[in-house]
Amino acid sequence: MQNGRKTSLVLGGLAVTFTALAAAFLGDLPGRPVPPPVVPLVDRAFLSTATVRISYADLVKTKEDLSDFECYTCHQKDKPPVLKYDENQKLVLPKAHRDIVMGHGTHGRNNNCYNCHNESNLLLFQPHDGRDLKFADSTQLCGSCHTPILRDWESGVHGRTSGFWNRTLGPIERKDCVNCHDPHSPKFPGRPPAPGPHQLHGQSPTPAAT
Amino acid sequence: MSCSTSPSDPADGMTRRSFLRTSAVLATGLAAVASSLKPLFEMEDFSSAEQFMQKYYKEMTPEEMGQVIKRIEGEVEKQYGVRPHVRDLRPMDGVEFVYALNLSRCIGCRKCVHACVAENNQSRSPEIQDIRVLKMPQGTFDMDRGDHTYAPESVPEKGFFYMPVQCQQCRNPPCVKVCPVHATWQESDGITVIDYDWCIGCRYCEAACPYWARHFNFTKPSIPADRINPDMAYLGNRPRKQGVMEKCHFCVQRTRAGRYPACLEVCPTGSRKFGNILDPNSEVSQILRTKRVFTQLKEDVGTNPRFYYYFDV
Repeated sequence: MQNGRKTSLVLGGLAVTFTALAAAFLGDLPGRPVPPPVVPLVDRAFLSTATVRISYADLVKTKEDLSDFECYTCHQKDKPPVLKYDENQKLVLPKAHRDIVMGHGTHGRNNNCYNCHNESNLLLFQPHDGRDLKFADSTQLCGSCHTPILRDWESGVHGRTSGFWNRTLGPIERKDCVNCHDPHSPKFPGRPPAPGPHQLHGQSPTPAAT
Repeated sequence: MSCSTSPSDPADGMTRRSFLRTSAVLATGLAAVASSLKPLFEMEDFSSAEQFMQKYYKEMTPEEMGQVIKRIEGEVEKQYGVRPHVRDLRPMDGVEFVYALNLSRCIGCRKCVHACVAENNQSRSPEIQDIRVLKMPQGTFDMDRGDHTYAPESVPEKGFFYMPVQCQQCRNPPCVKVCPVHATWQESDGITVIDYDWCIGCRYCEAACPYWARHFNFTKPSIPADRINPDMAYLGNRPRKQGVMEKCHFCVQRTRAGRYPACLEVCPTGSRKFGNILDPNSEVSQILRTKRVFTQLKEDVGTNPRFYYYFDV
C-alpha cells in the first residue's frame, strides 16, 4: 500500500501547511503596513482672513468704543500740545501716548506729530495739500504723500482684496491702509509662520540657504 | 496502515477516516485562502457600478451630469457625514484667469497653504498641499537653493525672500500632453482641470510637471467632518478618492462664481492678485502693464504659465 501512504503523507503535509498559513494570516504575522504618522490639524487662527489691525472705520462700523479718539477729553481746545525733543532730536512721547512707536520714515526724520495731525484741531488730519481729513479718511491722508501707492490701491493692485473679482456678480471689499500698517510705524510686522509640510520620514535636510 | 487492510473497504477507496481527513484539509485550506483575502474585504471605496459606467465629462448631457452630481453628494455624505452642495461650473465667456504674486510683499507666513487645504478638502493626514512656499536667499532664483521646510520664530527673515509655488496654469501644459486617458485638460478660461472619476492614477502628469504642482492621493484622503468645505465643484474641490491626482485649480468653485480664490483672501499682505486678463481694468492687467513682472517661473522650459511673479519696491 505504497500509494496510500504517499497520499496520506501529502495530505498531511498540506494540512500542516494550510493550518500554518491560516494561523499566519489570521494572526497578521506578515504584518500590516506601518500606518503613516498622524499629522496634527492646523490651528484655525492660520485660516482667519481677518486683517492685522482694526481701522477707525471698522470701529465705527461695528459700533465699538471710540473714546480713544476723543482727544479733547484730555487735551484743551485752542491750546495745541507742545512737542518735546531730547538732545538727539528724538521725540519725547508724553505718558498717555507711550504705546506709540515712532517708526515712520527712515532715520527718525518723520518725528513731528503735526506732519499729519492738525495741532489746532486734533480731531482732524492735515495733509500738506491743505485739506481737512477726518479719522475715517486716513487712507487719503497716507496717499497725500504716498501717491503711487494710493494709485495702486485705488486700482486694487496694492493692498488686500476680498469678495468678487467679477464686479457684475458682487462687490469687492477693500481695506484701509491702517488695517495693515500702523501709521506711526508702518512697516508690516513679522509673524510666526504656519507649520510647514510634514514629511513621512521626518524632516529631510534641505539645501543650506546661505 | 490499518485502514488499507480494513475488510469494509469500499470499492472507490473512500473510508470514513479518509473522508474526514480530506474534508479537514479542505476546510483549513479554504480558511487560509479566505483569511489571506481579508484585506480585500476591508477595502471601502470600491467604485460603484454607476461610477464605473460613467461617461467622459465632455460627453455627458446635463441630465447625466445631474445624476453624477447626485451620486457624488450621496457618496460624500456617506463617507464624511456632511451633505455637500456640488456644482458643475463651466468657464465664463470672455474670461481668462491670470494670477500675479508680489515677491516684494510676500512674508512667507504660509497662510495661503493652509487656507488652500481647508478650501479644497485636501487630505490632512497624510498631508497634501497644493502650495509650496520656498524660502530663497536674496540675489538668486536658483530653485535648488530654495527651502520649503523653514520654521523660524518669525517671518520674514533678513536676507531671504519667499516664493510660493503652485500650479502655474500653463498655456502649454506638459501634464495635459502626457495624460494617456485625457483625464486632465485645459479649459477656455485657462484653468487646467482634472476629472477625478476619469483619472487612472498613472502619475505621468506628476512626472511631467516642472513645478511639482501635482500631487497623488496614495491613501484615502482623511478629512475631519468639521473641516469639510461643503461648497464643492465637480472639477474642483470635491473629495478625491485614493489613487487619483490633484492640483491647484484656481478654486474653480469660487472663481467661476465670480469670487476670489481662497489663498488670495487669506493673504495678510495682499501679495496675491487674481483676475481676468481680458479685462483691461482688472488688477492683473494693471500689474502686467505697470509693474516689474520678473518672469514666468522656469520660462526656459516653454510652458508659458498664467502665473506671474512681480515686484513693486
